[in-house]
Amino acid sequence: MMRRIANIAVLLVAALLCYGMQTTKPHYADLTAPIPVYGKIQDTLRTRTFDIAVDKVAFARTLKLNRFGQQKLLTSGGVWAIVTAKLNARDRSTMVAAATWQGPDGLNYRASERVSLAAGALPVALDPGVAGKTRLVFEVLPSQVTGATLSVSGKLAGPLDSEARIALGSVAVQADGLPEGTIETYELGETF
Amino acid sequence: MFGSARSKLKAWIVGGMGTVAALAVGGALGVFDALEKPVVLLEPGQPVETGPWEVRPLRAYAVEKGVYGLPLKAGEKALVFEAEMTNRTALSSKNYFTTFQSTGGTDDKPYVVLVRDSSMAPALQPGLPERMAYVWGLPAGATPPDRFVLAVNGQIYKRRDNLYGVPGWYNEHVIGTVAMPVGAGPDTPDAKP
Amino acid sequence: MSIAAQPIDETGNGRTPAERRWWLRSLLALVVLIPAALAVMSYDSVKELLRNQDFFATDVAWGSKARFGGSDWQLTDLRAALGRADIPPEVVPVLVDMTVTVGETNLQTLWLSCRIMLIDSAGRRWLPTAAVSFRQTDDAMTCNSAIFSGAKGGDALKIRETFLVPKDATATIRPAVGVASERPGFLLFQRPQN
Repeated sequence: MMRRIANIAVLLVAALLCYGMQTTKPHYADLTAPIPVYGKIQDTLRTRTFDIAVDKVAFARTLKLNRFGQQKLLTSGGVWAIVTAKLNARDRSTMVAAATWQGPDGLNYRASERVSLAAGALPVALDPGVAGKTRLVFEVLPSQVTGATLSVSGKLAGPLDSEARIALGSVAVQADGLPEGTIETYELGETF
Repeated sequence: MFGSARSKLKAWIVGGMGTVAALAVGGALGVFDALEKPVVLLEPGQPVETGPWEVRPLRAYAVEKGVYGLPLKAGEKALVFEAEMTNRTALSSKNYFTTFQSTGGTDDKPYVVLVRDSSMAPALQPGLPERMAYVWGLPAGATPPDRFVLAVNGQIYKRRDNLYGVPGWYNEHVIGTVAMPVGAGPDTPDAKP
Repeated sequence: MSIAAQPIDETGNGRTPAERRWWLRSLLALVVLIPAALAVMSYDSVKELLRNQDFFATDVAWGSKARFGGSDWQLTDLRAALGRADIPPEVVPVLVDMTVTVGETNLQTLWLSCRIMLIDSAGRRWLPTAAVSFRQTDDAMTCNSAIFSGAKGGDALKIRETFLVPKDATATIRPAVGVASERPGFLLFQRPQN
């Protein structure tokens, strides 16, 4: 009789232990998530394959772009955020292929595909010792501008690879709800 | 000897009962699933929540010339369906190719275009409503119908899928159908809610 | 009468010597079996890792040929292409020329994921660039286009790749080549000696 009670107790404890581990232990997706390298604007962040330093962030209502030899004016229901950054390969040639703008509410905006033909758009190939740069363009909700984080990584899905996370700081809001310093038209030229 | 045979029999009976119960529950669920559910009729102009998207079917029309940068050869016709779509998820997404499905009379797969600047199938950004055009080619010689019936598909959110334990949208299912009156061309007005 | 009522002692009290012996053997077997299981499970991953990396260099002297991926590889030229206005002065475009005498002809298997590199004395590695291209005056091709050129045995293929290298590295860079069928080994060529 005592043995049976002891058996049941052991079973209960095991079940409890399993449940506890299931709820508290990180999941597979978290365990294989990218490894973040944190920093802020102007810092040089060193990831496994590349270095990145964000120069500045600009905001615009519309973008001007040459597409197939035609001038195009790109409008948005939100606001365009344009981030320029310096890039450098570490010790071998590499690619930078993915960038995400994460707003303060956790909304994730991937670099816009509407401007993927503009100069400096991802993916960017980097060679060691050859200064590289990129111009990332995001289309975001105005409420997701202040306190945003920029994530940049070598691959779109890079489990256990390092990823730069750059805090973009706070941005004041204009009377019309757009971020301070929003310009009417940003020209996505060949040089930047 | 005799006692152990009896206990074995008992174990078989208990095990068998469990199996029968599992089969019965599984079968009942299957039958329940297969029951013909009444099709929900959705109104043009009314917002519908599909899970990852909030959509508002706006208008449908037939064209004989190219629209939104899509070329159309002479003699070819296409059905255009436009809707306002808002990404309700927390990540830029182009998971909209099967949100609207033609129920017949057209090509299988549509081209999807952002009306704002005629980009082909760009990812839509969280919280930013966009007007999208779905363009179905019509088979040679077919005349456009008076009413274009579309199935609106939804998906459910799973915090962890069964394979990788990652969050995502799964189990696509029909939410309802919407019958759009087919206008004569790109001047067709939007449906009022 | 239930199943548990059978007279089996599950706690291990009163083991016979034979039982004890087997218990010990099993314990010892675990010491071997667990590492063996780990090795078997990670075998494919390790193989995959080695298949994608150029780890072990084989030096090739200037002017000589080396058998690699079923063909004979020879470095014929390594030169800087100066005088491009669209490239910043601290960066040098470098051209690598190789002559490959085709031996075994199924290049699509043997030369799969062909990679020509430059490696400097600090161990930095450059891959071919798409940022600059030069007009070709001869029938040179890139390694990956050579795979699909339908070359026959005995053909001598001219392979040329373009790189972007900082000026400080040009003094020590050496060309190298790796193909999937030979990885993790790769050829590291001596710099031209004239």
